[in-house]
Parts: sequence; C-alpha cells; structure tokens
Amino acid sequence: MGVGSRHVQFVARTVLVKKNNVEEGMRVLNRLMGREGLLDRYRLTRRYEKPTQMRRRVNFEKAKAIYNEDMDRKITLVMRMNRLNPWVGSA
Amino acid sequence: MFVSASCRSRLPPSHFKEESVVNVVYLVSVLWKSVKMLRRVVARGLWSGHGAVRTSVELRNKEIRTHQDIAAKLLVGWRRRDELRGLHCTPSYYKTQDRKEMLASMPVKDEGTEGEVTQGLDNSLEGSGGMFPDEDTPNLLCDGVRFADLPILHARVSKNNTMLTLTDAKGMVKLYRSCGVEGFKNAKKGTNIAAQATAISLATRALNQGIKTVKVKVSGIGPGRMAAVKGLTMGGLNVVSITDDTPISFNYSQRPRKARKL
Repeated sequence: MGVGSRHVQFVARTVLVKKNNVEEGMRVLNRLMGREGLLDRYRLTRRYEKPTQMRRRVNFEKAKAIYNEDMDRKITLVMRMNRLNPWVGSA
Repeated sequence: MFVSASCRSRLPPSHFKEESVVNVVYLVSVLWKSVKMLRRVVARGLWSGHGAVRTSVELRNKEIRTHQDIAAKLLVGWRRRDELRGLHCTPSYYKTQDRKEMLASMPVKDEGTEGEVTQGLDNSLEGSGGMFPDEDTPNLLCDGVRFADLPILHARVSKNNTMLTLTDAKGMVKLYRSCGVEGFKNAKKGTNIAAQATAISLATRALNQGIKTVKVKVSGIGPGRMAAVKGLTMGGLNVVSITDDTPISFNYSQRPRKARKL
C-alpha cells in the first residue's frame, strides 16, 4: 500500500473518469505525476544512487535548468507577436 | 434645523451654556436674519425655476433648432441626459464610464516575453472542471451506490507482472487475477497485452458476481499500467475514478538495491 494507510483515500492523485473515458483519465493522471516529478522520483529510488552520482546529476540538472530558461526566453522573444516594428534593425 | 445649526456654529460654546438675556436676544436677532435670507433664496429659486420652465416650453415649441445654440443644447441635454452631456458639470460624473469605454476600445496589451507576467500553475489543466474530487465526492452516487462505498480494484503494476485484486470498499478481497494466473509465463507476464487480457478476464468474473462499477487504484509503473485500466472497460466494467497509489519515497527509508552494472 502506498499512501493508503496514513491519508484520506481517493483524494490525492485521483482523477474522476467521465463516461468511462479511462484513456483521458490516465493521461491526465500521468501528466500530473510527470509534472510534479513523481515519476522521476520513483525511477530514481528503485536503485541506490551513489553520492558522487547524485552530485553529478544535481549539478547537471542545475546547469540544464539555467540553460533551458535562457533559451526559452530567447525563443519567446524572437517569436513575439504584435511588434510595432517587425523588422528591427533592417529598415 | 439648518438655521439652528448655523447659529450654534457662530456662537462660542461658553456663551451658549450661560444662557444670559443678552445672548438670547442675540440669538433671536440672528435667527430672524437667517429666516429673511432663506425667504429671499427661496423666492429667487422659485423665480429662476419659473424662468427655466418658460424657456423649456418655448424650446419645445420651437422643436429644438439647437445646432448652434449651445446654451439651449445644454438645457435640453440637462432635461434628457442621455442625448447630450453638459460641458462643465458632467465630466466628473462620467469620468469612470469614459475611462472604461476608452480602455475597452484599446488593443490588447502585449504581455511580452514569458516570465514577465504571473502564470497559473498548470495551464493545460484549465477547464477540467469536475475532473478532480472535492468534498462532495464521497457522497456522489454512481449507479445508485455512494462513491465511498464502491468496490475498489487494486492494480499492482510492476516491470515483470500485473496483479489485479478486486475488493469491497473496506478492503475485503473478492477476486484476484494476475498475468501469471492467466497463463502468461516468464517475460510474457510483463507485457501490456498480458495485462489487458488479465483485466478483461477479471472484469467478466466481476460482472458474473454482479459488480458493475468500480474505482481503480493503480500502484507502480510498468507496461501494464495503462493496459490494465483499459482492459477493465473493455471487459464491461464501469470505471468511476482512477487513483495513483504508487509508493514514492523522497528519502531512502531503507537503502535500495545496488545499481545495475552496465
């Protein structure tokens, strides 16, 4: 049993299914868990991770997050709509 | 009321308290003065009102040729406020309204790059109303049974197998099927097809017992995770909710197995 014994059941991590459409329900549930990092956490705790490996992984994740944030900002800036002058520097 | 208030404000409070004869005389004289003033004001008001009525009647008879005559325009506008607004008296009255209209007519403001504005936690889940349980959910009626009293289907999914247990709401086991029981052996147990076949077989058995509606609890991650729940509906069961019950630890309570060597 996972969280069952210590928490109110069927409240957390629960999706109500409408018209027996379980595929959508599962998709929503999986997406939620993926977004919250629960799936990653599950995979990481199956096997022991040595401290060196953990340090390396965490450092890599930090660097990757910084890079991704910067890159996202740059892309949104380039893709930005409704500019007053759409051809900046070329007219 | 108004007059007495004004008198009191003119007199110093100590004089008022003493109530000497002189003060009473003074008070009466002041009262008399203000009454005279009031009469004058009322008379003037009546006269001007009379004039206004006369002008308006004339204007009405002329059928309003007011293209140039601003005063007449204003007067008519004052009588029928919707048509025209006075230049000097109404701006403050209409200020909020005008601002709203102006803002509505403006183009939508460009919010700029992402990160400059606050965003919701999960935009993709917006509009998924009724998808998540609330405080009324336990009393929700599903096929005439309370949600809290529905039988539970526990699906234990692992890398190598899928095990399905049907219990009542309190956890008493009624049915059990797994890919191994179903006849899939060795590596074939850990496939989505095996999980689906198992789920269908369990669903038919449940229907034979008269159980039609269940809530599902999925535990673990593996190939059978999706297929098991899908198989239940294919077998004819009605799934009301899906709950994830995967045990996820954020710290090692017990040191896990040694990592695999690659």
